[in-house]
Amino acid sequence: MVPLENYLVLSAILFALGVYGVLSRRNAVLVLMSVELMLNAVSLNFVAFAAHLDPDRATGIVFAVFVIAVAAAEVGLALAIVIRLFRNRSSANVDEAATLRW
Amino acid sequence: MAEHAWILAAVPAIAFLALAALGRRLPRQGDFLAVLAAASGFGLFFAVLASFLGRGEGAWPVLNAIEWTAIGDFRLNMGIAVDQITIVMLAVVTTVAFMVNVFSVGYMKGEPRYWWYFAVLQLFVASMLLLVLADNLLLLYVAWELVGLSSFLLIGHYWERRSAVEAAKKAFITTRVGDVGLLIGIILLWKATGTFNILDIIHAVEAGEVGGTGLFVSVMFIFLGAMGKSAQLPFHVWLPDAMEGPTPVSALIHAATMVVAGVYLVARLLPVFEAAGDALLVVTAVGLITALFSGVVAFAQTDIKKVLAYSTVSQLGFMFVALGAGVVSAGMFHLFTHAFFKALLFLGAGSVILGAHHRQEVGQLGGLWRRMPVTAAAFLVGSLALAGLFPLAGFWSKDEILHAVEGHRGALVFALISLASIMTAFYTTRLFILTFLGKPRDAEAGHARETGASMTGPLVFLAVLSVFAGFVVYGGVGEALGFPGGFGEFVYLHHPETFHIDWGLAGVSTALFVIGVFGAGWLYRGGRLDRAAALTAWQPKLYEMTRRKFYFDDLYQFLIDRVVLGFSYVVSWFDRFAVNDTGVDGSATLTGYAGFLLKHLQTGRVPNYALAIAAGVAALILVALAAGG
Amino acid sequence: MRDFTLFIPEYIAAGAAIGVLALELALPRLRRDALAWATAAGAAAWLIAALFYVGDAPGDFEGLLRTDAFTAYFRILAAGAVLAVALLSARYLRDRTRAAGEYYGLLLMAGAGMTLLSAARELLTAYVALELLSFSLYVLVGYLKRDARSNEASLKYILLGAFSSAMLLYGISLLYGLTGSTTYAGVAEGLAARGEGTDLAALAAIMLIVAGVGFKVSAAPFHMWAPDAYQGAPLPVTAFLATASKAAGFALILRLFTEALAVDALEWRAAIAALAAITMTAGNLLAIQQTNLKRLLAYSSIGQAGYMLVAVAAIGYGDAAAAQNASSALLLHIAGYTLSTMALFAALVAHYNRTGDESIEGLRGLSATQPFLALVISASLFSFAGLPFFAGFATKLLLFQAGTGAGLLWLAGLGAANSFISLYYYLMVMRRMYLFDPPEGQTRIRPPALLGAMAGLLLLGVVFIGVYPGPVFEATDGAAAALFEASAAAFARLP
Repeated sequence: MVPLENYLVLSAILFALGVYGVLSRRNAVLVLMSVELMLNAVSLNFVAFAAHLDPDRATGIVFAVFVIAVAAAEVGLALAIVIRLFRNRSSANVDEAATLRW
Repeated sequence: MAEHAWILAAVPAIAFLALAALGRRLPRQGDFLAVLAAASGFGLFFAVLASFLGRGEGAWPVLNAIEWTAIGDFRLNMGIAVDQITIVMLAVVTTVAFMVNVFSVGYMKGEPRYWWYFAVLQLFVASMLLLVLADNLLLLYVAWELVGLSSFLLIGHYWERRSAVEAAKKAFITTRVGDVGLLIGIILLWKATGTFNILDIIHAVEAGEVGGTGLFVSVMFIFLGAMGKSAQLPFHVWLPDAMEGPTPVSALIHAATMVVAGVYLVARLLPVFEAAGDALLVVTAVGLITALFSGVVAFAQTDIKKVLAYSTVSQLGFMFVALGAGVVSAGMFHLFTHAFFKALLFLGAGSVILGAHHRQEVGQLGGLWRRMPVTAAAFLVGSLALAGLFPLAGFWSKDEILHAVEGHRGALVFALISLASIMTAFYTTRLFILTFLGKPRDAEAGHARETGASMTGPLVFLAVLSVFAGFVVYGGVGEALGFPGGFGEFVYLHHPETFHIDWGLAGVSTALFVIGVFGAGWLYRGGRLDRAAALTAWQPKLYEMTRRKFYFDDLYQFLIDRVVLGFSYVVSWFDRFAVNDTGVDGSATLTGYAGFLLKHLQTGRVPNYALAIAAGVAALILVALAAGG
Repeated sequence: MRDFTLFIPEYIAAGAAIGVLALELALPRLRRDALAWATAAGAAAWLIAALFYVGDAPGDFEGLLRTDAFTAYFRILAAGAVLAVALLSARYLRDRTRAAGEYYGLLLMAGAGMTLLSAARELLTAYVALELLSFSLYVLVGYLKRDARSNEASLKYILLGAFSSAMLLYGISLLYGLTGSTTYAGVAEGLAARGEGTDLAALAAIMLIVAGVGFKVSAAPFHMWAPDAYQGAPLPVTAFLATASKAAGFALILRLFTEALAVDALEWRAAIAALAAITMTAGNLLAIQQTNLKRLLAYSSIGQAGYMLVAVAAIGYGDAAAAQNASSALLLHIAGYTLSTMALFAALVAHYNRTGDESIEGLRGLSATQPFLALVISASLFSFAGLPFFAGFATKLLLFQAGTGAGLLWLAGLGAANSFISLYYYLMVMRRMYLFDPPEGQTRIRPPALLGAMAGLLLLGVVFIGVYPGPVFEATDGAAAALFEASAAAFARLP
């Protein structure tokens, strides 16, 4: 079996990449992709822990499945909102959607 | 029912809210609501009384409390305690309030803010009832202040008149000085006994847990509050000025109920006063000086209401003398009878004022007994009761006081209080003669008409009470009414006191009455002022001093103008520069600037917000590492 | 143990949600007001059903959910909030959109999510309930499709919400890795028994979780979504955000931190205390600068969240009795805060329906044109500031007292100072209402019947709690006791 640490490091890297994406991307869709990346990292974590520490009950795997489902729903919702934004402003640029401030 | 006696206070409170919110729009501006509330209060009192008596002596006092709040170890309960003193007060307040409300319907007709008058009147009644029902000093203090507030609003009812506004201010500020003392006293007692509950405090004192100078000091502070509210020297100055308010208000608040709050307080806490060294001596002294002083001043007053006001101050002094002798039944009994005949006298004065088309000065009155017979007769009954004619109510209560003083306080006090009794009879007779007898001194008085039934009705009712109320001092009468005995067997400090008439003392009493009445009768016979004028001319300076109330008001005004205001200039300079400009404005600008700087962090851009979150997590981890595990 | 009857109130809520959606589909020409009334009826039914469960013995559903006094408390709060917001939205939505079925359906769903969140005793259940609540809110915030600001608000909310929930999940996954369990009890056991060298991991996990829930309750520095979301959202949704969403966040915090993470209190309590301090200060300082009413209220509620976090910190610092006291105080504060906020928003919605103005300047002279509304607004603001006779005084007093009881004197002092600062911007609003003349030509207007009645009723509640907190305090005490009963085993292992 692949050692646990490998999985954890991988998921940490993915998570960090996701965070970086959220912080630096201008396009809302790309931000969402970065969030997806983070959520996948989390799923990876869960599955890895489940496989190594909890093989009988596999709680982690169940959790991962839920996370995938919820993430999908979240993205669907978010994209709908982004489309709304796009229709109103012809741009999906998060920087420009900054009228509410201070 | 007795444990739900708080309903007596709730009814007028609701009436107040209803009148305050809707009064203007109701038919007749809601006066029927007020009378209804007062009448139900009167009726409900009897229910409470029946329930109270029905439980038998073993169940007294009736208590009912709820836990208000518990913060840590501090527990505060709010509730009512109904004992014999409470019952007496409830009787007085509900009866006089009822009469005053009915009277006001006629008296205040056409006056401005008619609905608001009735609203505040109900507020007053509610607060006063709460005051006498309260089982702890904190609740009592709240009610005390509310009563003061209602008084202020009512004295200043005709606020278009400058003098009324000034009088209201004076009343509020003077009693405030006393109230500060009361609050300090309450806190001191709390620190000593650990509770605000009156019964618990009394038990603690009787068990000897508190005592010494500390107790004396606390008690003196509390007495300060009583002195303020009950207009004892030197706090008496507000009461005569309070006559600026509508006359029914004077009858209710400044004769029968609010001003006796101080008497009630001392009576309630009498066991504590007893245990506090010479406290009772102080009470007696203050009462005595006040009684004599105001009696003298009343000689030289020419406004009917002012005479009655000084008379009230004097009678309150009598009550304190009785309490100071340690005989709570005498003091409460005089409170009881005085409420009825003084209210009667004030309402009678109101009737006179209205009937003689707003004339209050005796110099403009006279000869009214022909034109206003009912009022005159009622006023006569009230005067005789006040002066102490056997067997009217005032005779019995004054007799009780004399008895108490004779037994407990010695010859000097007895002599002085007798002197005060003579004075009472004197100025009362003077007032009656000058107002009702002789020939009218003014055209309007000559055309005076008797007032309507809504006003004469209460007069008659109170007159009947003034005649018969005194008989409850007898055991037989009391038992027939359901009480365990006479007044002294119902309200007592350590043991019930059965009343036996002491004919010697009664004789002395009557003698005092005769001296006073005939003295005044001679001086003012037939309503003529010539003999009195001669007397005045003989000693003009003395007369002037008496008329100017011995310059008390002028002294206070001087103190305020020079001392207080001068000091406040200094303080206000400091306040303006040091506290306000530097401290307040300075810190405000600083805070505002900090906010201004901060707000630019909220740029409106999502990536920035996300950065804040990420940075926040990192920071949290650092903080946790630095501080804890 | 699968006792499905434990959640009948939530079935009613969910059923009502579907019912409202169906109603709109079936009867498209129905007055849009009717949907509001239907929702209100559903919420009322839910509330009544919830009342039946008060006083019942605690019930357990497969170790995932637990119905006890704590759950009952939040159930009633959620149902009440949904009911109030539904009524608030009636005319507001009618004037502004065509389709409203989803709005009301989502409102009910959000409430159901909130209840489930307070009943959850297991991380996955909690997460799903949290997302149920959050998703509904994302949509509700952006419901005014053509309003650019509503769009922007919901965009920010969902992006940041997704971001922070990813953080939360990562923390949960680490926790799972550390303890091998996702039930609160299991986590507590696992944390107590964890080996050496795992401190950093545990710390990271807990802090990520703190970030996730901190976002929900708008604690600084995770609060930045709140002003924009509150400002852009439709007014009734702002009301819901300010009350129910925040309360739900605290329900989660309470359950999580008293049961699962209590054993490791040493790790997180200093951080929570710092969080509380920063949140209240930032919220109050920033509020001073605001000119938009909704934004001001957002910062004000951030400040309030700061005060509430003091109680959470107290749970970490104090012993068992102090912790329970703190929880009770927190629950009471939530109740008082919810009532005041709802009253305030009832008045604001009434005002907005008539004038369409969101600025503080628009409240000019309200005391002359609509004195009753001005009174309700003032009373609510006074309650927020913590003035006596209003709920805020009693609840803040108990909150800070809980703080000092756990030794956090500095925090309580800071809280008092902040309450003082907050008085400034509340008075600023009231000043506009009372001391300024109304705009030209405006005369006295009667308040609308429904909103006026609601506002009046809620105001009475605020005053009631302020003057006689006893009975409500007993209720929250019961809820707190239930909370700790559930975690008794875990707490016994506290160092």
